[in-house]
Amino acid sequence: MTAHGPYRIVILGGGTAGWMCASGLSGLLAAADYDITLIESDEIATVGVGEATLPHIKTFNDMIGIDEAEFMRETAGTIKLGIEFVDWLRPGVRYIHPFGTFGDRWTNADFQHHWARAQLAGTDSRSLQDYSFAVAACHANGFEHPNSDPKSIRSTYSYAYHFDAGLYAAYLRKWATARGIRRMEGRVVDVVRDAESGDVASLRLASGAEISGDLFIDCSGFRSLLLGQTMGVPWVDWSEWLPCDRAFAVPCTGVEPLTPYTRATAQRAGWTWRIPLQHRIGNGYVFSSRFCSEEEARQTVLGAIDGEALDEPRLLRFQAGRRHVGWAGNCIAVGLASGFLEPLESTSIFLIQAATIDLAGLIPRRGEKVDPRMVREFNRLFAVHYDRTRDFLILHYTANERVGEPMWDHVRNMALPDSLAHKMALFRESAAAPEYRLGLFSRDSWLSVLEGQGVLPSAANPLTHRLSAADLQARLDDLAERIVVNAADMTPHAEFLASYCASEAKARPGIPATAA
Amino acid sequence: MSAVRDITLLGRDAPLWLAAAALRRALAPAGVTVRAVALPDEDGPADLYPTLPAIEALHNQIGIDEAALLRGVRGAFTLGQNFVDASGAGQAPFLHSYGAFGTGINGGDFFPHWVKARRHGLGVGLDDFSLTATAAHNGRLFLPDEASEIYGRSDYGYHLPAAAYAKSLKAIAQHLGVEIFETASVAVERSDDGIAALLLDDGSRVESALFADLTREGLLREAIGSAFEAWAMPGDRMLTALAPRFAALPVYAEIRAGTDGWTGLFPSLTHTHVVHVFSSAATSDEAALQAAATISGLTLEATTIRALVPGVASAPWAGNVIGLGEAACSFDPIHGLGLHGLQLGIVHLLGVYPAEGGSHAARRAEYNRIMRSHFARVADFQAAHHALQNYAGPFWDAARVLPVSDELAHMIDVFRARGELAPQEDESLPPDSWRALFTGHGIVPESWRPAVDRVPPDEVKVHFRKMLGFVREQVLRQPTHDAYLARILQRAHG
Repeated sequence: MTAHGPYRIVILGGGTAGWMCASGLSGLLAAADYDITLIESDEIATVGVGEATLPHIKTFNDMIGIDEAEFMRETAGTIKLGIEFVDWLRPGVRYIHPFGTFGDRWTNADFQHHWARAQLAGTDSRSLQDYSFAVAACHANGFEHPNSDPKSIRSTYSYAYHFDAGLYAAYLRKWATARGIRRMEGRVVDVVRDAESGDVASLRLASGAEISGDLFIDCSGFRSLLLGQTMGVPWVDWSEWLPCDRAFAVPCTGVEPLTPYTRATAQRAGWTWRIPLQHRIGNGYVFSSRFCSEEEARQTVLGAIDGEALDEPRLLRFQAGRRHVGWAGNCIAVGLASGFLEPLESTSIFLIQAATIDLAGLIPRRGEKVDPRMVREFNRLFAVHYDRTRDFLILHYTANERVGEPMWDHVRNMALPDSLAHKMALFRESAAAPEYRLGLFSRDSWLSVLEGQGVLPSAANPLTHRLSAADLQARLDDLAERIVVNAADMTPHAEFLASYCASEAKARPGIPATAA
Repeated sequence: MSAVRDITLLGRDAPLWLAAAALRRALAPAGVTVRAVALPDEDGPADLYPTLPAIEALHNQIGIDEAALLRGVRGAFTLGQNFVDASGAGQAPFLHSYGAFGTGINGGDFFPHWVKARRHGLGVGLDDFSLTATAAHNGRLFLPDEASEIYGRSDYGYHLPAAAYAKSLKAIAQHLGVEIFETASVAVERSDDGIAALLLDDGSRVESALFADLTREGLLREAIGSAFEAWAMPGDRMLTALAPRFAALPVYAEIRAGTDGWTGLFPSLTHTHVVHVFSSAATSDEAALQAAATISGLTLEATTIRALVPGVASAPWAGNVIGLGEAACSFDPIHGLGLHGLQLGIVHLLGVYPAEGGSHAARRAEYNRIMRSHFARVADFQAAHHALQNYAGPFWDAARVLPVSDELAHMIDVFRARGELAPQEDESLPPDSWRALFTGHGIVPESWRPAVDRVPPDEVKVHFRKMLGFVREQVLRQPTHDAYLARILQRAHG
């Protein structure tokens, strides 16, 4: 084993994906066994994917040893307890997809069955939303770290972050290079392949330098230079279900109060995002060019912002879908080079994280070669992650009552993937909600969006009757009461940030706009 | 179809009464009537139900007290199954125990560290890191406490003599308010999409909105013409017999592989229950009886022989007929998973039971989806046993070349390459069961999770030494199987 040199990993691209992958691998692998080089070019602008995240990122940060307060300070980060969806079902209706649970499991039946029973009996008119502490904390604009006592209502949520994607990549770059990741500045002009295997042998830079490696990680963004262009892995197009293909992004100045959640507001031909950071608010309009002109979209996003625009809206073009596989030969794509799903549920960074963690478990050890059995496992998990996320996103669109608006009519009437149609029918029929082990999202996440989009159960599980109607109502009242009382007591989000991780970043005109 | 306020179960023996009691207990508060139409029992004195630890949860829901149950049925505890080569091939024995191997190291899993250490010459097997397995090898039970729970899961199942178990469950079902009908035979009155009523031999007619089929042969499934997919298996006949008990009661079952089948020894308080599975194409019933006696080394009595038809219903819920237990899926008896399959069915049926609401289509689709998926995982576990074993003889040669699913082939590949278990949905057996099976059949992973290399080998050695010491010390404090059973029996009088 000692006869072999360290295993050489070359990461192409230094945006969020490249630096998360570099940090993750350096945090999860033995430093002596791997030699990691990241090539990035200052000439190539990054898309800056990921201003909003999911709670999983905390696991990733903890796993590799990132200090939370430092990380939030350096990235002008804020807390995210969920996503507020405004006007999605129909104008005037809003709900939150919280990072937390709805109620408790009683009498061997999940909480939503008890809720559904009381709703159907007409004895309880509260929304599921009223049984989530995270939702109440969002409404109160409060935040504290979750309580570690599982009996406390204040333990029933988790949280994620909003941050400045440019600062995040810079933070991870500093973190990773301090831990031995080699950074090379340069633009790739040629990909040299092994004549026999077709594997990538080296990357030639404009400077003439040639970087050889054992494994190449493609973080080149939409270009997918290695996996798509070089290895020829085909694209699987999902625009039949997710028709949005453009976004205008524009930052604006911050306003009070500093909300601890992302907002996604439905618009005529898509939706606008609002991501509050410490020093500014990130905004954008994700729209379908089939249903809306670019000029109309530009006007829409400028009309939707709360503060003063800090830049001209910047246009991004994309298509929903993924590569057929994420790993071919000795190339693995991470981030936009592997696929794209609109930022509706802030899944981009999770997909980068999942690919990084899967890769860290399946990557050859020092002295080993790429093992096709490990490649198959990576690709199996890659497909699960993308496909399950896709179904969840489609639910937001298809279950709508925005009749008369062409894009919304289209998504309401389109044929759904069988896997999603079954989940919706089952919930309507029985209040049983999706639950699976691999991939996003949890049962509570599905519940929030099912109810929020007006998909309502017509029956509850009979096990709920092991509680009398009076006992059930008493428990529901008690739960709702505890949530209200405890949420009112939370530290304001802005106050929490000021004492925990105040950032010195300043909003300034000309800052690159970023997509969530 | 409208809300279903009644369900009628057709079956016999312990599975009928277990299902009836569980459904009645769960559904009575919702006003659901549960009827049990009982055909004459088939289980004889030699029959015994081995269980997985999970049965305890179902028993608790029904309100069954463990000590009272074991006293009543003269059952025993089991910490797993010991697989022994009696075919002369020289395959090393291995234990599939119901406990966890080792404890985490610096927040990471134990197993990849063991894989790496093995590759570097560690002579200590997985069982020495398991409280349950070590207890089993030492004839002791393992009763978990706070310290052992922190270390890792240690669990036990039971060996429940069939007739007494059925009697005890029937009494509970009756007490819970199950309406009981007994009949020597049954005829079926069809409806458009299923069954309208069961016609009993006393002339009575039992109508119901929903029927559950708990017969071994899938009588109601057959009546409505719903398909059954048979699985290719090396054994198609099973002999059961009763033998004297061992002086010191083993705390596990032993599965001995002969050249023409396998022989299982299942201890109860009073007897050793013997099972012998063989192929009718190669072995006559007389030869099978001889083989069972030889391999067990015991005097056999109360012998019966019946056919095995392993396989799965294409649609476990078809029309208004829901298959539970063997009517939905009949496993190879080698891992003692019969009641496990029944329990999965009961739990998932309760998850979608249509006591309220106007339609069933999505619930039926969900029950079929989730049961087929769960059954496929268990079948894969059993297929892995067939595909990976190295026993000698025509029975095992046939087993070795049976087809395996793509999922299983991939799982074996990934384990062989890295010692990792490719995670699957609807997996009801714990990861350490798969690890026991794979390593027990001689797979030595070629490599391991690279993260393991971050922990210095000397540090790992210290952790290993601590674990081995802890396991030894904990196990020595445990009662022997006989001592613990005696304590339970005494408690009844005290």
